[in-house]
Amino acid sequence: MRSHAIHSSSRAPAACLLAVLLTLAACGSHGSSSARTSGTGALTFAVFNPFSGPDASFGPEQLAGCIPAAAAINAAGGILTHQKIICKTADSRGDPADAVPAAEQLIATTSSLVGVLGPSSDEASATVPLFNRANMPMFGDTGQAVFNHSSFKYFYRITPPDDAVGYAMAVYAHQKGYPSAAAVFGNDISSQGSLRTVVAGFKKLGGKIVLVQSIPLDLTSYRTEISALAAAHPSVIFTEADPQTSATYLAEAKQLGHLGPFIGTDGTTQPPWLKAVGNAVGVVNLKRYYVGAQPYAPTTGVTYQLWLSQIKAVGAQVSQPASQWYGDSYSMAAWDSINLTALAMEAAKSTDPSVFRPWIVKLATPSPGAVVVHDFAQGKAALTQGKTIQYVGATGQISFDQWQNSPGAFSFVSSDGSTKVATFTAAQISVAK
Amino acid sequence: MTGSLFVQSIGFGLVTASILALASVGFTLQFGVSNILNLAYGDLMTASAFAGYAVNQAGGSIPESLAAGAGFCALASMLLNRYVYRRFVRHGTKLFGMVVVTLAVGIIIQNILLGAYGATFFSYSFSAGSQVHVLGMVFTTSQLMIVALSVVVMILVQLLLTWTKLGKAMRATAANPSLAQASGIATDQVTDLAWLISGALCGLAGVVLVLNTSAFQSTTGNDFLVIIVAAAMLGGVGRPTGAMLASIVLGVVTEVTAGFINPSFKEVIAFGVLVVVLLFRPTGIFGQGATVKEVPT
Repeated sequence: MRSHAIHSSSRAPAACLLAVLLTLAACGSHGSSSARTSGTGALTFAVFNPFSGPDASFGPEQLAGCIPAAAAINAAGGILTHQKIICKTADSRGDPADAVPAAEQLIATTSSLVGVLGPSSDEASATVPLFNRANMPMFGDTGQAVFNHSSFKYFYRITPPDDAVGYAMAVYAHQKGYPSAAAVFGNDISSQGSLRTVVAGFKKLGGKIVLVQSIPLDLTSYRTEISALAAAHPSVIFTEADPQTSATYLAEAKQLGHLGPFIGTDGTTQPPWLKAVGNAVGVVNLKRYYVGAQPYAPTTGVTYQLWLSQIKAVGAQVSQPASQWYGDSYSMAAWDSINLTALAMEAAKSTDPSVFRPWIVKLATPSPGAVVVHDFAQGKAALTQGKTIQYVGATGQISFDQWQNSPGAFSFVSSDGSTKVATFTAAQISVAK
Repeated sequence: MTGSLFVQSIGFGLVTASILALASVGFTLQFGVSNILNLAYGDLMTASAFAGYAVNQAGGSIPESLAAGAGFCALASMLLNRYVYRRFVRHGTKLFGMVVVTLAVGIIIQNILLGAYGATFFSYSFSAGSQVHVLGMVFTTSQLMIVALSVVVMILVQLLLTWTKLGKAMRATAANPSLAQASGIATDQVTDLAWLISGALCGLAGVVLVLNTSAFQSTTGNDFLVIIVAAAMLGGVGRPTGAMLASIVLGVVTEVTAGFINPSFKEVIAFGVLVVVLLFRPTGIFGQGATVKEVPT
């Protein structure tokens, strides 16, 4: 759900050559962690996500979490003796052929690197092993179910996987009383991630799936598919595809008079998708027919206010308009990831990932007598006083399982991407499994 | 119901074919005259779509956007060939090297667009119009306009190539540039004009493509490139008439496939047709036993 298209790349030969060169460079500089383990130099968090290509919106979304966290950490005096934290972008281009050399380059050339935001589904399979081999903690925004039971020690995920969103969509449709549904999903690997579970979940709850369409991305027309959809008479459509594909499909559905209620995955709750589809079908129709699932992140309360004040303080430095990130659960998860990692370093009194890594889970886990903290400054102050802390961030309590995944609740939002129309806990969603 | 879907699929296929024909005829014309496989073509389409978008957002009508897209791309393509591609050719860059050069140009264009417009999606302000039923097929008025535009342009291209001095000079340059030059044809000027015309087709294709997709971004044209190249190959590379016919075949086959087999196999079946045809006619439907030539200097 966190990516849409793994496009075949005709640029692979050049990328392969670059990969070889960068691999050699990486080998040459392996283990150069001195800059981060001693001294006072800046520490770097990398946003390793697509900044170009079809999923170019993912990178800015993660960066919108990194920048306010880094600014607040710097304002609190930094981590240990390192007074400055930097957010560095590394463009994976959303394609494994480009992502592998980009990851190698990042590892090889950034000796101050202490954590990674990413990878996304587009490049996770190819690059998670690389970061893991380099002992680099990463907070994947990938939704791929293959990481549900991952054995990668340095991989963490605090947003729910793709298959969970499918069950959540089924529960929502059931609650709304839709008797039948069609599933229209892009035929790329990440769009397909929630297809199986939404179909299975809806059937388990007594619904009827009348049509399953896997559509190729970015074609000029889907009118034949829409004719088939109309013939099946679904009462609701479950959907995910990249913004352009969805815009074309739904605009043509409207032209043919077959636009009806549709429920999107969290891939559809992002500003580019909402903008593309809103323009294509009209804002009024989008408001009338659409809801999208997204990992639940509260938009009220103390932690939300902390997050909000911090992102507003750096509003000019994030992708504009800054307000698009205020309720974005993935940006909030990125903010949490940086805070948690930074506090783990403080607690471990080390910036060496192999030393502070276990503290990431420890600090998120409730323990008797632990002081609950909501950002880095609070946590650092408590640790300095010798207290035990539990970090509860903008996305709520983080409950890591044995595979370092934190399954959470889901909310359903309307066409503005932030107004919640329903929320389901993990327990409520489990009835569809 | 099935018969109805079949007829509707053909109608939908004709719309796809119309867009594809505009694009593939321009693409194949460039290759025919210059022997350059211009893989920046899709990105030029996107750039044209943005040019048309600028006019549209400034209050221009769709015909004005089409004119802006066509004009922009005509000029950009001609200048690109004259000041970039031709220089590489004169420095001895061969066929495969030129493919890499065009690929690089495409990446540069795509990233310039990304930098200028950002990683988001755009839509023209226009109404697709009402539904029109023709022989059981369903169109919107804007789609009928696209089909009509494509038919008119294809007729004009055909007339240009077969009945005008310029068309004959272009064909002579395509067949044997050295001989054409020796015969008094100003091949550089002819090539410039060919790139102007093919660029205009590329620009038109870019604008109608994004009108039909409803939303576009900096990579939209490039996503369409593979099917353009397929249509050009199926028709016989360098053969505009072949590209027109191949566009209809691919457009209709993909839509009928979506209706009766599985939408996922749309492109699979289209490329299956390409492979089967090339197996029996390696030079494409209209190819005439041509062999791969080096880029004429």
